[in-house]
Amino acid sequence: MSAVSSSGWLYGAIQRRRNRSLGGLYLVVAAFLILYAVLFPGILSVGGFSKFTQNWFPLALVTMAQALLMLNGGITLAIGPLVSLGAVIAATTMGTALGVPGGILAVAFVGLAIGAVTGAIVAHLRLPAIIVTLAGSFIITGVALILLPRPGGFIPDWLSITLAGHTPVAFLLLVVIVLAWKAFLATPLGLGIYAAGDNPIGAFRSGVPVEQVKIVAFALSSLLAALAGLFVAAQTGSGDPVIGTPFTLNSIAAAVLGGVGFLGGKGTMRGAICGSLLLSVMINVMFFLGFPPVAQYIAQGLIIVGAVAVPELLAKGRARR
Amino acid sequence: MTEQKPLLEARRVFKGFFGNPVLKGVDIALHPGRVHALLGENGAGKSTLINLLSGALQPDSGTISVDGKPVGRFSPAGARAAGIAVVQQELSLTADLSIAENIGLGAFPRRFGLIDYRALHRGVRDVCDMVGLTEPLDMPVADLALGRRQMVEIAKALFRKPRVLILDEPTSSLSAHEAGILARLIGTLRDRGTALLYISHRLNEVQALCAHVTVLKDGGVTADQSLAGIDGEGLVRLMVGRETGDLFPPRPAANPGATRISVENFSAGLVRDIGFSARAGEIVGIGGLVGQGQEDLLLGLYGAIPAKASKAEVSGKGALPAHVGEANAAGIVYVPADRKHEGLVLPHSIASNLILPSLGRLARGGFRDRGAEAGLIADLARRLTIKGDVARAVQALSGGNQQKVALAKWLPLDPSVLLLNDPTRGVDIETKREIYLMLRAFAAEGRLVILASSDTPELVHLCDRVVVLREGRVAASLSGAAISEEAIVGAAMGINTQGAAA
Repeated sequence: MSAVSSSGWLYGAIQRRRNRSLGGLYLVVAAFLILYAVLFPGILSVGGFSKFTQNWFPLALVTMAQALLMLNGGITLAIGPLVSLGAVIAATTMGTALGVPGGILAVAFVGLAIGAVTGAIVAHLRLPAIIVTLAGSFIITGVALILLPRPGGFIPDWLSITLAGHTPVAFLLLVVIVLAWKAFLATPLGLGIYAAGDNPIGAFRSGVPVEQVKIVAFALSSLLAALAGLFVAAQTGSGDPVIGTPFTLNSIAAAVLGGVGFLGGKGTMRGAICGSLLLSVMINVMFFLGFPPVAQYIAQGLIIVGAVAVPELLAKGRARR
Repeated sequence: MTEQKPLLEARRVFKGFFGNPVLKGVDIALHPGRVHALLGENGAGKSTLINLLSGALQPDSGTISVDGKPVGRFSPAGARAAGIAVVQQELSLTADLSIAENIGLGAFPRRFGLIDYRALHRGVRDVCDMVGLTEPLDMPVADLALGRRQMVEIAKALFRKPRVLILDEPTSSLSAHEAGILARLIGTLRDRGTALLYISHRLNEVQALCAHVTVLKDGGVTADQSLAGIDGEGLVRLMVGRETGDLFPPRPAANPGATRISVENFSAGLVRDIGFSARAGEIVGIGGLVGQGQEDLLLGLYGAIPAKASKAEVSGKGALPAHVGEANAAGIVYVPADRKHEGLVLPHSIASNLILPSLGRLARGGFRDRGAEAGLIADLARRLTIKGDVARAVQALSGGNQQKVALAKWLPLDPSVLLLNDPTRGVDIETKREIYLMLRAFAAEGRLVILASSDTPELVHLCDRVVVLREGRVAASLSGAAISEEAIVGAAMGINTQGAAA
């Protein structure tokens, strides 16, 4: 069989098959992007593209953070507070002796540590993730408010300009993060996230370290959310202890739009990222079409219900025939 | 050949769950180059033994030895390192991952910490060729039919290059062709010196493939012997027979009343085209291996799943109940097998569970009548010998007493037909006796009791008639002296003994 000799045929074939199942989503995203470009041709310039991707970037990160846990059969309600905490830590450390590198490390360390502890509680005490992360969201919000009771802090201008200026640095960072995720998914541990999400008992019996996988998933998820906070702080030039709040529900909405299921193991990260892009574009399009904010909320809700219901109805229709 | 040292051995292993002993000092020894059969009825402890042998569970006491050396704490990863692989009855596959990734899961070849997809491809190709899997290896398992998924499960076990291979009912979802491939594969592995443990309810397979048998009954070993010279009926004899003592109430002389249920060409779920009838005052048992349509027969008669029949008479009506409400109105009630999930509201009190089906009937002007409720609760508790405070949460009760509550709550509706799904599973002997007495009393009051059961002695000694289902059809319909453990087990396993189609 020639396929055996060609380099990595199996890996490529698996990836192509995953893309094929997302064809519909890709088309919808493309259609919205074209509509957006027609309404707002500025996106085609370097500056416009940079601004657009900067708006999308934090949502993309938190959606990855959410999808990571949903694929593993869990969910997290602590995304928003983690974004806030990341922003607050960035804004309170970068003006001190730690400087920018120290501040970034502090944000990353706190994100990883909170996630690992949350994951250990969920995995070893076998508590439901939704409750543990709900409790965590209150605690994290509290800590953020103690560190920085009102918006402020210090972010050096050069950092804001680098990350959120007129260059597509945010987009490049996203590419790097996506590549890192792909490398992680090519490790036994990464693939274990899917297996343990879909069939935990089967994965355990196959020798997958299910608990370790869960802790790693929580740690990486929290890291992504905290880094999203750092970016938001750079974008706004300051720390704000409640700035992340809308991200919790938007991350779930974007993951669901991208076809990530609630029961674990169903969906793909590339789908989730597309979902976040779709949500981001839709919000922008509605804004430019002059929808009042209230109508935007309602339209957003209807689109999400539709996105979940339509494939379900199609599948039912197929099954009946 | 059997003089060799066993590869995998369990000695005097005990295992219980929540104080309920499942294995009571079991010995088993798997030798290289031998196919060992493990037989036993549902609930005899086979799955628990497999889980101990493969590290998924730890024994309460006793030892598991590999190559004659006792292993301490055994994990699935440790068992794999020792060369033990299991083909699970409940598949261990991840639906969204590809065939290749599923086969490699937990045993991926690595290169620089990443999964080596090329090495994986080669290894997976080899085992797929062995089991005749020709589907593209990048196909998600979700797109495969059940039988093909089973073949993936087998390939997954082979990928681990096992020295000990445990196969738990591997053929239950396979086609004849696939089962043939598996049989040849088992022969090849045996000749290469693999130790095999084969669990199956298909006795002809056991005869054809296995050289040695261990029979489990109620958590103990009742036979551990060579299969040379033993035929199908001999195997059935090894599996049946147990002291029943005075567990069962005496069976009165047959005096059935009017026909309560009569269906022809009845189909529901797994049940295909069967005829069935039962009369008032009877206890009719439904037997068979797990999942042969017993539950669907009950649920179909109850209107809980779609059912059809060319002719039906149910509780005086000329049609099957269209939904559960209609069945209840006609005096038909159903007590589910999974009492913890379907039969009871566990955190609520005994009292509130008992009155749940009667709430509407007892209400006055739309409001609950606490006085009438209290009277009913006291009456039910007395009739069912439920002792102690009825305000206790149901989850604090033993399995047997929970079952009594799940049964008793229907009595105020004065049902004429009781459909019971395995009411004594996980119930202690004393409560079993009480439930049997209760069911006998129901029958004497002119009610019809239809009882699906995985407990063969219960079918033999309690029921007036027994219908054995196999693959959704009636394999045997027994009554009177024709009801015996041999006849029921034989029919359930598709071996012809006397009394079939009476």
